[in-house]
Amino acid sequence: MNTPGDALECGHSLAELSTYLDTGEIADPAHLRSCPECQAGLASLRRLSELGSELLSSDLADAGSGHDDWMQSILDNLRLELRPGRNIPLRTENPHDTLWETEGAITALIRSVADALPGTAAGKCRLHGDLAGGESNTADENSTSGAGIIVDVEIAVVYGHPMEERAAELRRELAKTLAFQTELTIEAINITVTDVLELPATPTPTTPTAAATLPPPEPIPSEREDLP
Amino acid sequence: MTGSPSAQHQLDLVPDALLAGRAADGDTAAFEALARRHGPLMRATARRLTGSLADADDVVQETLVQAWKQLENLRDPAAVKGWLLRIVGSRSIDHLRKRRHHLGLDDLENRAENHVEEHSKPQSTDPEHNAVNTSRVEALKAALALLPEEQRRCWVLKEFNDQSYEEIALTLNISPASVRGRLARARITLARTMEEWR
Amino acid sequence: MTEHLEPASFSPSETSPVAEPHATAPSAVAEELLRVIQAVEGVTAVYPAQPLWQSIAGAAIAAVTGESLPLVAVSGDADPLAVKVRIGVGTVLPAPKVARKVAEAVRNHLLPRPAAVEVYVVKVQPVS
Repeated sequence: MNTPGDALECGHSLAELSTYLDTGEIADPAHLRSCPECQAGLASLRRLSELGSELLSSDLADAGSGHDDWMQSILDNLRLELRPGRNIPLRTENPHDTLWETEGAITALIRSVADALPGTAAGKCRLHGDLAGGESNTADENSTSGAGIIVDVEIAVVYGHPMEERAAELRRELAKTLAFQTELTIEAINITVTDVLELPATPTPTTPTAAATLPPPEPIPSEREDLP
Repeated sequence: MTGSPSAQHQLDLVPDALLAGRAADGDTAAFEALARRHGPLMRATARRLTGSLADADDVVQETLVQAWKQLENLRDPAAVKGWLLRIVGSRSIDHLRKRRHHLGLDDLENRAENHVEEHSKPQSTDPEHNAVNTSRVEALKAALALLPEEQRRCWVLKEFNDQSYEEIALTLNISPASVRGRLARARITLARTMEEWR
Repeated sequence: MTEHLEPASFSPSETSPVAEPHATAPSAVAEELLRVIQAVEGVTAVYPAQPLWQSIAGAAIAAVTGESLPLVAVSGDADPLAVKVRIGVGTVLPAPKVARKVAEAVRNHLLPRPAAVEVYVVKVQPVS
């Protein structure tokens, strides 16, 4: 397979050297070692490869971090699509209309409320119970959607914040928000502290996962989701 | 989601294999941690394959949708990075193919190339103004944009993603021998351009 | 990308001229409805009515050709006209109320033609 400008005067080709660079295989290794032309060709290809790595570094810098806004907006879109969850019916004023909130919209709202409180971050969030309220209310304007929904929220609390207070505050905030933004009848809001977070500004040099191994300042009231 | 240090960031310390396993079990936080970890390389690769950052973001998003749906088929969770990048490769090619379907081929080529060049013109008018290496990288970008598309794809998949000839062949739907040939031609052209530029 | 975050107008009263839906192409109706929906107070985004993985490719093509995708799904000839819309809302107003306002605005816009309006609230987040 020859390309214009490919053949070297020694009879070998740059294409062979290109393959050698990737596979380490070449028909005549002894020649390669001793031929100045092949060595020069190889050096040129290696310089290109190094420059390729520099281009990659430069492009990676341009691409930004996975914690930047561009990725957040992609993940926000994905959440809408991948985890819409169940459809929660809303009361309608017209029998021809069907109105819904998605479960995913509500769990994301719950997470954002938890994230907005100082010292807490949301983990898993689940709605238990019959969200459809019997499935019959699309034509019934006066029925109340879903009865007796139980909300389970897992949170991480930053080390040093009082857990009981944080949990109680979050419970109040969530009750208020859910009453305002949904028509669900909330029976209970269970908040479980699953992790204590160490602030990133104060890393412990010995163990990078120090937060998970610190003795908790008070008993953690639930099973932990530790990794093996 | 700002403010308090997020529990998500703890997942940044967890190895790929564990995250992939958890994601396959339906753990979205683990999946998002993988997306954040490999997102920049996915974006950079898609950008060079498609020619624009806006397209790259569409490709990354499509890739993640497909990955989420197919995660349970991933045999080796530790190989999730390469698997994601192969999806990026396929999605990028599809992306261009679908567009080309709508536009004339030439039209699209011109658009993509111009777009690349906008950002990558070597600033030879005032070479001393730039660090030498920066401008060599810029020159490589320009040379890359001038390559035939198939050659550029082979080169990007090799140099950015370290894919094997067989993997590139599968992505581009050509034979491994064609990959070897195109890659060699791409390198020869680029190397000559860069040697001249030195 | 697929979000249209900028409402065409925020006037709470219906100021858009009443078109004649019977005489207009479905895509034109969808475009009108998009503006009507974006003008409802509390609506922060309108998402494609069909799932993302079916619409991404289309969105990319639209970005190149300059065509905008109809985000609002309007069924062709059915009577009543079926309209499906997915929205994101802010947190200042109650989401259920905003959903009802959207359905009402769509219905009023299409009058005298009867419509069956389906509204999904897929995002409830404070506007940053």
